[in-house]
Amino acid sequence: MLLFSLRRLNLLLFTILLLTLLSFSLSYLFPGDPLINITGRVLATPEQLEVLRQQYAFDQSVIEQYWSYLVHIANGDLGVSMSSHIAISTEVLSVMPATIELTITALIIAMFFGVPIGFIAAIKHKKTTDNIILAVAMLGYSIPVFWLGLLAILVFSIQLGWLPSAGQISLLYEIKYVTGIQLFDIMLSDSEYKWQAFQDASSHIILPACVIALAPATIFVRIARTAMMEVLESSYIRAANSKGLTFKQIIYRHAIRNASVKVVRHIGLQFANLVTIAMVTEMIFNWPGIGRWLIESIYQRDYTAIQGGLLILSSFIFIVHIITDFIYAALNPIARDTHYGS
Amino acid sequence: MARDKIYQEEEFPSPLLQLWHNFRQNPVVMIGFGCFIFLVVLAIFSPLLTPYSPIESHLDSLLLPPAWSDDGNISFLLGTDNLGRDILSRIMSGASLTFGISFIVVIISMFIGVVIGSISALTKGIKSSFLNHFLDVILSIPSLLLAIIIVAILGPGLENTLWAIVMVLIPQFVHITRNAVTEEFAKDYVLASKLDGAGSMRLLIYSIFPNIIEKIISQATLAQSAAILDIAALGFLGLGAPIPLPEWGAMLKNGIDLFYIAPWTVYMPGLAILFAVVATNLVGEGMRHALKLRKES
Repeated sequence: MLLFSLRRLNLLLFTILLLTLLSFSLSYLFPGDPLINITGRVLATPEQLEVLRQQYAFDQSVIEQYWSYLVHIANGDLGVSMSSHIAISTEVLSVMPATIELTITALIIAMFFGVPIGFIAAIKHKKTTDNIILAVAMLGYSIPVFWLGLLAILVFSIQLGWLPSAGQISLLYEIKYVTGIQLFDIMLSDSEYKWQAFQDASSHIILPACVIALAPATIFVRIARTAMMEVLESSYIRAANSKGLTFKQIIYRHAIRNASVKVVRHIGLQFANLVTIAMVTEMIFNWPGIGRWLIESIYQRDYTAIQGGLLILSSFIFIVHIITDFIYAALNPIARDTHYGS
Repeated sequence: MARDKIYQEEEFPSPLLQLWHNFRQNPVVMIGFGCFIFLVVLAIFSPLLTPYSPIESHLDSLLLPPAWSDDGNISFLLGTDNLGRDILSRIMSGASLTFGISFIVVIISMFIGVVIGSISALTKGIKSSFLNHFLDVILSIPSLLLAIIIVAILGPGLENTLWAIVMVLIPQFVHITRNAVTEEFAKDYVLASKLDGAGSMRLLIYSIFPNIIEKIISQATLAQSAAILDIAALGFLGLGAPIPLPEWGAMLKNGIDLFYIAPWTVYMPGLAILFAVVATNLVGEGMRHALKLRKES
């Protein structure tokens, strides 16, 4: 387990280093002066620029420039936004929790529905149920998410009027910023309308989270189905069968556990996909998250913000990836020993 | 067509032909394949087939609903948008933009990816390990985010969208080619031709490519459905095709403001994207199923 952890941490370090290299090279690739791109100070006077040039080692070689960029990142300094002149790190910190809240909720919804349906499909393999589930799953991951989001708003917000169509919470409620994750903040606050605020916030999150969850859920259906079918063909299931266990006992005691472990392995990979979908969905539902912030930065040609946002968002995805790897290794002893990370 | 066996001779179809025999067993997949061919034909011949020009305004018939509704007009089968442009014509010419470009994108990135992948499979040591890690990093960045960033570097526009998505798809092809070539290199028949004195280029072209081509094609269908969705998403975000072009995602974006008074301006392009993606996915699905069947037999 120690060797496994070291390897994973090594990979994490290497990856984040590569990501910083990528975001550093972006300041040269984007149009305009690299120094202004990296710092975001468009209004700086020539004297201030000279000071910045010293700070970011832009009078020296590229390697030293990269090193000073790394030092700045390590100190939490990602420059300032070109349009709002607020530090990128502050802006990211204010929008990131909303995205974490939305994506994690969507991931939970996707797994809650996707995995059991996949198991059912595997158990009913080559029957009508299986075929119907597969057909619906294929439709699910073919629907363009922006279209689905619009249809969901039309049906559930406008025609039926069940759920609100935009934003994170109604403006009536004032929630103090503690963790940034709205649902936690409401629980921590001591407002007398806590319960109403909680209901309002959860009714706001349901629609976008379900829209995001649909495509990953259908992929989980397929992953869970394949995993369950592999497990059902393995020899320990045949052994359990020959001992005289009923089909129900086999499924509940042996098959579900072993198949679930295999599903966990794929969560990390699916998460990147889920975040992509979340970026577009945030735009449609006006969700104050990092995806909307990033796309708006692109409209405004705010290169410093794009650079910082890419770095933070990809690191977030990779950290979730590594965490699921650890969970998988903790659940499955076989994974720890094999040639992992090679 | 049934193939009669007159002679005792055993027949050994090539891997690709075998794949086709398995592929056409499934009727649903064949329907998907038919739709795929239909889209390809539409993408090529849409300028000849459309009833009107996609950017021609009919100012006397703005926001006409589709023909099957009471207020519809049969000369505009799917209705018109807020500038009086015929939606059917726009969707048909959109096929050559959204679907046609995704096709080109996949072919370019497949070519580049396969070349890089096979070179990297032949190199060993620190260079290949670095490439592997680098690919992992690129693959961990969401494809749409990467495409958006490349568009931010190049500037918005349809041609830049094309290159952005090409670059996003290359790593996947490198990854799959690399793995397939390394896997194939370990097999005995490759060793046999190696003992005959074949160089690595010859091995790649004559021994390995005929045996991995179907894996690459099945990856290509996956990549194409992703490419269609990404082109449409970029168009929807206003970073892809410029305003008058009838790209499906951009049409959808144009329809949002009218969604509540003229929902068909949103329904139709969305359905077109869905149709294209489902057809591509069905072909890919059938291909993977046929591959599995061939491996088992």
